[in-house]
Amino acid sequence: MTTGLVSAAEEVVTIEIGGTSIDLRTQNPSFRRLIENRYAGFLGTSPSSHFEFDIDLYDPSESAPADDDLEVKIEEGEWLLQRGDFHARWNPDAGHGQIRQACSPYAIDAVLRIVHSLILATQGGFLVHAASAIRGGKAFLFSGVSGAGKTTISRLAPPDATLLTDEISYVRREGNRYMACGTPFAGELARVGENQSAPLSALFLLEKGLQNRIEPIAPTEAIQRLLRNVLFFADDPELVKLVFQSACEFASLVPIHRLVFVPDQRVWDIIR
Amino acid sequence: MADKYIARSTAIAARMLGGEMMVMSAADSTFFTLNEVASAIWQAADGRTPLSEIVAGKICQEFDVDPEHAQRGAERFVDELSQHGILLVSDEPLVESSPTLVSR
Repeated sequence: MTTGLVSAAEEVVTIEIGGTSIDLRTQNPSFRRLIENRYAGFLGTSPSSHFEFDIDLYDPSESAPADDDLEVKIEEGEWLLQRGDFHARWNPDAGHGQIRQACSPYAIDAVLRIVHSLILATQGGFLVHAASAIRGGKAFLFSGVSGAGKTTISRLAPPDATLLTDEISYVRREGNRYMACGTPFAGELARVGENQSAPLSALFLLEKGLQNRIEPIAPTEAIQRLLRNVLFFADDPELVKLVFQSACEFASLVPIHRLVFVPDQRVWDIIR
Repeated sequence: MADKYIARSTAIAARMLGGEMMVMSAADSTFFTLNEVASAIWQAADGRTPLSEIVAGKICQEFDVDPEHAQRGAERFVDELSQHGILLVSDEPLVESSPTLVSR
């Protein structure tokens, strides 16, 4: 056989998150290795849904800082995603897109988050700022803004809990239940989650306090607070409506509580 | 003073939950939870019934409020929601896509 040539298959890295596979095709071997290392626990394919992107890397002089404003909009059935360090187009019907980006893990990470949030929005699910974990076959979500305690509750997790993420949780709808799935989107722990999933048993809205307790929360407040934490990138009215409906459906099927806690392992004793 | 006609914008998502109406603007994602009185006004906002008639015929009938107080409260509510494009307000009956629509 011919040597020294890279076959098309070898140019592709497939990342599977939440049962959705995305093929990333790049001709740059060092960037391919970077992707493989970053998403090591999430490499593989799922037959359920499949999308692909061709990646073209910027020259170092081309890219602007990553904190440039993000813009996500749809034009004639194609999503346009752009920030200083990437410019992407994606046609969800064709399942295909192109990314021009800096040779940076942050750019591809941002594109993947956006694309998954768009896919999930049409399926009744969402990405949410939340830590999540599986314990006893049940998944729990711990949501809150930055500083609310997502990293703390993750760090306090007992050995028999499987951490799905300490930062961005993947919530997928399956009939009349929701699944929490592991993500490689890490927060302060800088540790990717386990690539596992389980039926979601409860969502806890985190608040630091003087003692550990679970409090009820009014449904409307629960939905409002959930919506505040849902990752939502697109300036698109139809998508706003979908996300709103998803949050309402979620709240009708999954118990939502306020979890007031002190940074102590005993908080996990009351999580059922 | 000219009467106001109000209609619900189509650029919103809304759902009734536990007697309260949740409304979210699709334009700027502003989220509102309406109490029972506000929910009743919201549901009566058909673009054809004057606001004063909604207040007199529905709000004052269903809730124990005096007409003057109810009218002032309704106008404040309508002003606030119209500023977010959630309610459309006009001096004339509203017809969908009519050029007389005023969204404040």
